[in-house]
Amino acid sequence: MKPDHTPGPLASEKPPRGFWAEAWSRFRRMPLAMAGLVFVCFLGVVAVFAPVIAGTKPVACRYKGSIYFPCLAYYNRAWEPVVFTTDKFRGEYPRNLKEKDPVSWAIWPLVFQDPYRTVRADEWPGLPANPARDRGRPDARNLFGTNQAGVDVFAKMVHGTLVALLVGFVSMGIAGLIGIVVGALAGYFGGVVDMVISRVTEVVMCVPTLILILALLAVVEKPTIWKMMAVLGLTGWTSISRLMRAEFLRLKSSEFVTAARALGAGHSRIIFRHVLPNALAPVMVPITFGIAAAILTESGLSYLGFGQPPPAASWGSLLNDARSNLTMWWLVLYPGTAIFLAVLAFNLIGEGLQKATDPRLREARK
Amino acid sequence: MIHYLLRRLALGLVTLVLISFLVYGLIRAIPGTPLTVEAGETDISRKLSLENEAKRKAAYGLDKPWYQAYFIWLSHVMQGDLGRSVPKRAPVAQLIGDRIGPTLALSGSSLLLTWAIAVPLGLYTAARSGTPDERATSLVLYMLYSVPTFVAALALQVMFSIWAAGTAWELPLFGMTSGTPDMTTAAWLGDVGSHAILPLVCMTYVSLAWYSRFISTNLQEVLRQDYIRTARAKGAGPIRVLVSHAFRNTLIPLVTLLGLSLPALLGGSVIVEQIFTWPGMGRLFFESIRQRDYETIMGLTLMFSVLTLAGQLLADILYAWVDPRVSLD
Repeated sequence: MKPDHTPGPLASEKPPRGFWAEAWSRFRRMPLAMAGLVFVCFLGVVAVFAPVIAGTKPVACRYKGSIYFPCLAYYNRAWEPVVFTTDKFRGEYPRNLKEKDPVSWAIWPLVFQDPYRTVRADEWPGLPANPARDRGRPDARNLFGTNQAGVDVFAKMVHGTLVALLVGFVSMGIAGLIGIVVGALAGYFGGVVDMVISRVTEVVMCVPTLILILALLAVVEKPTIWKMMAVLGLTGWTSISRLMRAEFLRLKSSEFVTAARALGAGHSRIIFRHVLPNALAPVMVPITFGIAAAILTESGLSYLGFGQPPPAASWGSLLNDARSNLTMWWLVLYPGTAIFLAVLAFNLIGEGLQKATDPRLREARK
Repeated sequence: MIHYLLRRLALGLVTLVLISFLVYGLIRAIPGTPLTVEAGETDISRKLSLENEAKRKAAYGLDKPWYQAYFIWLSHVMQGDLGRSVPKRAPVAQLIGDRIGPTLALSGSSLLLTWAIAVPLGLYTAARSGTPDERATSLVLYMLYSVPTFVAALALQVMFSIWAAGTAWELPLFGMTSGTPDMTTAAWLGDVGSHAILPLVCMTYVSLAWYSRFISTNLQEVLRQDYIRTARAKGAGPIRVLVSHAFRNTLIPLVTLLGLSLPALLGGSVIVEQIFTWPGMGRLFFESIRQRDYETIMGLTLMFSVLTLAGQLLADILYAWVDPRVSLD
């Protein structure tokens, strides 16, 4: 890798770039890391537009004179327009729309399949019922097949993308916040604070993760996806905190911190304005790897049957369906590949970040 | 040195008490007790009367608040008694003892296999750094590392037990043995071996990918140093430089890793043992969480924690031992 611009302030026409701009320009030149980033963006688009890609509710429709967006109900049940409940649609839009208002029109999702229930015969004119039990092999109608209950795997996976991404980002957001604060306090203040925090970290690291997660999930009773994220966040901060502590130990004795202290800066100013921005780059790496790990843990828990209760749309729950009947290979292949690719993408991004922000590696390359 | 050891041991004890206290509180917070789980499984005609249940609760110490029950448990442990499992009706120590063999057979051979492949592979990728074949190998290893174990296990089961059914490639789906008691030892060993192949592959591929990448990265860092250039200039052959000059100096982090893999060696893998119903520690752990088997969970947690802490201590001591620049005090 060649240096971007020749050193020396006069030799360069461009103004000197900041740390993150520099890191980005290095990151951009790593094809694998960029491929990971592109894939994550693709997942993001799928997650956001899931109800447009697969669903049984119209994206937009005109009914009895006004325009509705019933597909929003996939994000939040409460957003289903009330008129369809009072008119007794019972979730079956195509026939009811035509019967109850002959002049209505609707824009339908690309694939007419529902992630939470099976599609009955003639729900969509001419479309037969989804095959149930082990007869749901992938075909033109059910691209990735159906599970035992006759629910379309493709629709479940498209809608499960949001769950996977949310689990990754939200739980690591929580873990990152805890880890950064706890690690910063331990590293900056040292002494008794460090001693206590280090013991607590050690305890959390030693307690078997499965127990910790299961017990916490049990304490919050009905497991929802949000509680799962909170639990994963509460258990996943230890490596971040240890790294943050090490960074603070290293930086707090550096000259610029001494200078700041000499100028009369208080503890919070030194921590947040001076040390934290310098320590942030290294912790981005375990956070990115942590996102991969969180996606893996969530699907693993769903696979073991500890996830959200059915009919949740999660990649792991499809694998759980496969466990009872291994001849249904499509319940392994498609969700398994999705989990693998998502984990791989985040791992590649993490690796790229590490290479792009680690000054030691940068020196070595020149 | 002795001072250091004593300090670490004292801190370790404090940590152990904290961990067991926390875990005890956590498992008692999971809804259900061993008695209710059991009662849910047996049929209604045999359900216990209320009075009888209160009696059994008292007998197992389930009528006390959890912190009291914890201290009773702790005092028993101090006397070397891990207690009795309620659902399994056996002493915890015996339950754990029964499962150590199968787990060790699986994790031990997995560890050996990992090292036997990862060290040459790491050396190879470091030596060929930058060439197309090295990049391909590294990418494959990286992809392997990202395959979740449960996905790999399911995929292997589908391939070797369902699709290959009836061919020479068919492998048993789960269990440790399907043999009869009157099998010869050789036939029994072969049977266990064929049952162990799939779980062994599942346990090995992730660590294999991880270790060889680890070895390779460390080696590449060392290979850039000046003394390697000196060795080359003196006329040492490429293999000699790689193995006796460079690799020897990357042994230190490897030794640390070895210490840290101690808990996994005896703890087994919950997911792999659960999927392949291998009768090891991981499966015992999973079963006992399901059955709210407090005594067994506590016994296993204690064992895991002791091993984790001992592994860390061992790693630190080995570190100081192989690297004279590191001092413990």
